[in-house]
Amino acid sequence: MRWKLVRAVIGRELKEVVANRWLLVGIVLPPIALVTFPLLLGVFMPDDTLPPEFREQILRQRPEWAALSERELTGAFTVQQFLPYFLLMPAYVPLAIATFSIIGEKQSRSLEAVLATPIRTTELLAGKTLAALVPGVLTGWATYAVFIALGAAIYGPRLFGVVTDASWLAGVFLLGPAIGLVSTVAGVLISARVSDPRVGQQVGGVVIVPLVAVGILQATGTLLVGASGYVILATILMTLGIAGLRFGAWLFGRETILTRWR
Amino acid sequence: MIRMVGLGRAFGELWAVRNLTLDVHAGEVLGLLGPNGAGKTTTVRMLAALIGPSEGEAQLDGHDVVTDAEAVRSRVGVLTETPGLYEKLSATENLDFFGKLHGLDERRRREAIERLLKLLGLWDRRSEPAGQFSKGMKQKLAIARALLHDPSVLFLDEPTSALDPESAFVVREAIADLRSAGRTIVLATHNLDEADRLCDRIAFVRGTFLRVDSPARLRGDLGRFGVDVTLAPDAGSPAGVDLVSVAEAVAGVTDASARNGVLSVAFVDEGATPGLVRALVGAGAAIAEVRRKAATLEDVYFEVMGATPAADTLERDG
Repeated sequence: MRWKLVRAVIGRELKEVVANRWLLVGIVLPPIALVTFPLLLGVFMPDDTLPPEFREQILRQRPEWAALSERELTGAFTVQQFLPYFLLMPAYVPLAIATFSIIGEKQSRSLEAVLATPIRTTELLAGKTLAALVPGVLTGWATYAVFIALGAAIYGPRLFGVVTDASWLAGVFLLGPAIGLVSTVAGVLISARVSDPRVGQQVGGVVIVPLVAVGILQATGTLLVGASGYVILATILMTLGIAGLRFGAWLFGRETILTRWR
Repeated sequence: MIRMVGLGRAFGELWAVRNLTLDVHAGEVLGLLGPNGAGKTTTVRMLAALIGPSEGEAQLDGHDVVTDAEAVRSRVGVLTETPGLYEKLSATENLDFFGKLHGLDERRRREAIERLLKLLGLWDRRSEPAGQFSKGMKQKLAIARALLHDPSVLFLDEPTSALDPESAFVVREAIADLRSAGRTIVLATHNLDEADRLCDRIAFVRGTFLRVDSPARLRGDLGRFGVDVTLAPDAGSPAGVDLVSVAEAVAGVTDASARNGVLSVAFVDEGATPGLVRALVGAGAAIAEVRRKAATLEDVYFEVMGATPAADTLERDG
């Protein structure tokens, strides 16, 4: 693998993302919403929002929160509901970039000129995958940093401990990138078969559905996945993602890209 | 520079091209001429190591297109049928990206980009997104992209198709300049005039190389020579003399006809012209002009392809 060429592909992809205003808006808006909504909820929510029986149920599931004040507990419960969305972001952003990238190349017919250079298909696919994955993961991490800083400022310093506990860290730093990888690979594989970016994103959205389900289960208190659960899930997804990449590299030989990606 | 031996490519059970055997010499411009679907693009793609052959072999600059494909790709510049540019990126950014893929360092990229954009008249528009360029400018930018790494061989696939006459002229001029600079070029086209003007040799392609030769020889070998004799408007044709019969009686003349004061005469070879002129003047004809006629590349095309425009139309319509 010649990383100079991979970096060239990544650089070119990112320039195109920055030059595409609507794609950029689609990438930037969700993180802003993700930071704003839970914090606004915290600002405007009265202290005694949680009914006593619900409060007891939360403390049964999260005994480590027993020391929190009423307001802090409300805040902790509120921000906890948003963890799944931090897992969605590394899935959503790469999917948008990957589908745009490959289908954009198909529409502009720029791939033949690229394939006429000495670049190998594995280098091309690695560049495209990383160009989609890295912004998604970095956006997720940057949003998380802003989220914990503002959350701690609004709800108090003890909430910092809640949003930086092992489950959050494992979720944001392990499971998020793993989901991003699977999402990117899915985006690449799907985009190779369709010629409309919207179709690619819609079909790719199916990948996100299980995550939404996890989010709902988390919000209703049916399923509270801990750090170890996230690590296991991340390992499974990473394995799936890498297998998908290898499958993609095998599937997309130079000739396949040239004759079928159109 | 390029050697093909029994080269062929099938897609499924259908052969796009077969039995391609030819040497292309350094500094030569070879035209691949044929109708749509004749196998021109497939041939170019095989020679540029973009797709593998199903049979036979080919070498470019001594490198095998299958076993040494990367070396081949680093030595060729390919102008694809559509420019295929990144339209959101500027001309400079487009070229810089491809320069990186060819492994050029920053200084070489900068120098090559400036030289080529100035050569092709795009330097003043270098910072504008390629999407804002006209079709001709896009094609020129694609030519610059193909030349960026100073390739040994340049493959041009339908460089002027879908261009307006003005843009096509600009692109042809650019190709003519490359030819003058001694570049080895393979030009796939179905534009007969373009091939005639730019190519040292023309290969007629329809599933295989039907005929390969220089444009002059191709025309000459067709054996169609002749002249148009324009008679003086007032006293050109003497009374009571049938000039068509006079012409037909000349040795080497195969056909003669008269229309609107012009006598069209066909020969076996060009040596019959002096005898014809002597016979006509001797019969009292006042000749204003003798214009030599030769077979056009279009005549050769239909002869080689085994079709006439009318027959071709009927075939397509049917």
